[in-house]
Amino acid sequence: MGSKSLSRVDRITYFLLTIVGLISASFIVFISIFIALKGVLPFLTDNLGLGSVSLFKFLTQTVWLNGPTFVSTAYGAGFLIVNTLYIAFLSLLISFPIGVLTALFIAKIAPKKIAGILRTIIELLSAIPSIVYGLVGVGFFLPIIYSLARSFGYSSSGGSGTLATVFVLALMSIPTITSISEVSIRSVDQSIEHASLALGATFTQTRFKITLLAAKSGIFSGAILAIGRSLGEATAVSLVAGNARSGPTFGLFDITSTITSTMLTGLKETQGIDYDIRFSLGIVLMVVILLTNMILNYIKKKVGNVHA
Amino acid sequence: MKKQLLIASAALAFVLAACGTPDNGSGFEQEKINVYTRDTSSGTRDGFMKGIGFGEASSDDSVLVSGFITNNNAAIMTAMTTDIAGIGYVSLSSVNNTIKPLKFEGVDATEANVLNNTYGLKRPFVWMRRVDGDFASDVERDLTLAFIGFMESNDGADVINDAGATAVNGTGNWADLVSNYPVCALDNSSVTLNFGGSDSITKIAEALSAAFSPRCGNVVTVNNHTGSSDGYKRSQGDEKDGINAMHIGYSSRPFTDAEKVGPENTRGQLAWDAIVAIVHKSNPVDNVTGDQLTRIYKGELATWGDVIND
Repeated sequence: MGSKSLSRVDRITYFLLTIVGLISASFIVFISIFIALKGVLPFLTDNLGLGSVSLFKFLTQTVWLNGPTFVSTAYGAGFLIVNTLYIAFLSLLISFPIGVLTALFIAKIAPKKIAGILRTIIELLSAIPSIVYGLVGVGFFLPIIYSLARSFGYSSSGGSGTLATVFVLALMSIPTITSISEVSIRSVDQSIEHASLALGATFTQTRFKITLLAAKSGIFSGAILAIGRSLGEATAVSLVAGNARSGPTFGLFDITSTITSTMLTGLKETQGIDYDIRFSLGIVLMVVILLTNMILNYIKKKVGNVHA
Repeated sequence: MKKQLLIASAALAFVLAACGTPDNGSGFEQEKINVYTRDTSSGTRDGFMKGIGFGEASSDDSVLVSGFITNNNAAIMTAMTTDIAGIGYVSLSSVNNTIKPLKFEGVDATEANVLNNTYGLKRPFVWMRRVDGDFASDVERDLTLAFIGFMESNDGADVINDAGATAVNGTGNWADLVSNYPVCALDNSSVTLNFGGSDSITKIAEALSAAFSPRCGNVVTVNNHTGSSDGYKRSQGDEKDGINAMHIGYSSRPFTDAEKVGPENTRGQLAWDAIVAIVHKSNPVDNVTGDQLTRIYKGELATWGDVIND
């Protein structure tokens, strides 16, 4: 086999892979341009005589729509941004410790057989579509949260609200955190663990103070992906959030709404400005996710390089 | 270690104790009403709000009580199985024994009461066809008449009921009636019938069109629903010969006197859309009035005690 024919194959492969890479990368460009073009229209045009939406009010107001649908343009999404970030943060507060500790158990503590079974279960969990998590939320979490709120003497709206949303999102993001953390925990250099043990540290001390610390960067990546999933989830959230039309909501038993759930509510029935404004929400959502990811990546760089 | 165990068990005991003693001391009358609604694009919401005399709320969220919950039909039904202080509304066809339907102005929400016109929270679905001399051809006129015959048959009533409304007619089986419409024995696949008008009726109208076509020579049907006022305008009104002209226009409100210009036999009612206010099964309230529902959705009646003592 001559080196010439090989390099031709190489070149063809290189060419094909470049094309494929460009195609998949161009999707994000297409999507961004499409959403952006549709989404800026409510602010720039007069919406068939209704008047344009004020960008400042849109980003700061605490009521989704002040006035009749299809007639008013007084849209506000400020409270949605706050709700979305608040809910994503709370759900991470639950999913992060559970996810990381599960990963530690699978990677370091569980017997091989059990670890294998658990790993398969986690993979299965991450493959379950979000609508199923939403239905679990409706059928399982809502009644429990409703009676929990009632036991505190609080009449919640059938259990819908912040807490239900946080639970469903936490449930959804645990598999993401676990599978990514587990890989990074397993890839921690065993020699530093041995060194810790040799210095007299117990297994528990080693696992928490050496292994987890060394896997910090990978664990953080898992958290970033989980946050992304929480910020972007629409179907499951709109089933359990209660879809409040004003806010922001901080009470755990109070109904809430996120950027995505508001985009989804009535999407299939509505038209005109009420439809177009959902694309504007899409822009807001993309900016929120982008900024959150950038900030988290910055923090990750600052704190994640201990062992390197 | 012992100390941690003590704290943990104390915390557990607290949670269990909290779960064990539901705070029922205040009683049902103190319960804040949790208001559930469909979103502003829903036809059921439009029918409900207009039916209770709170028409401005049909497309405006900002006039509703603060803290209302927006959800779809199924979610409102599910919520009423858990939320003892909730109130929502659904189409009559969705009502089942997991929730409690409220009487409206003292009348039970049943199909019989809808048909005998005693149950008030409903809106009519009506149709209007072109007048006799206005058809492009005799075939189109005959097909239009055949469609109306089908719509009023038992088969048409089944289609209407399946789509969630309460049919008012049922003149017999289409298999027996079809002989009255010889046009249906021809191949009509080159003829197009145009339908439109109320968008709340879209689902029913499309179902009727789809069921009619194979039963009448595969006539082509086009449904283009834009709003109730176009039901008259594009069949008998000033757009009847325009680009959007249609053979039959639907409306989800009674035709106004200004619209009733054609002969009596060119319009009729096909169904009622009845809407029912629903609550949790344990709710002691049995009956509401349109005024009470309006004040509940406005937030003027804030607790169930306000409703009971109203």
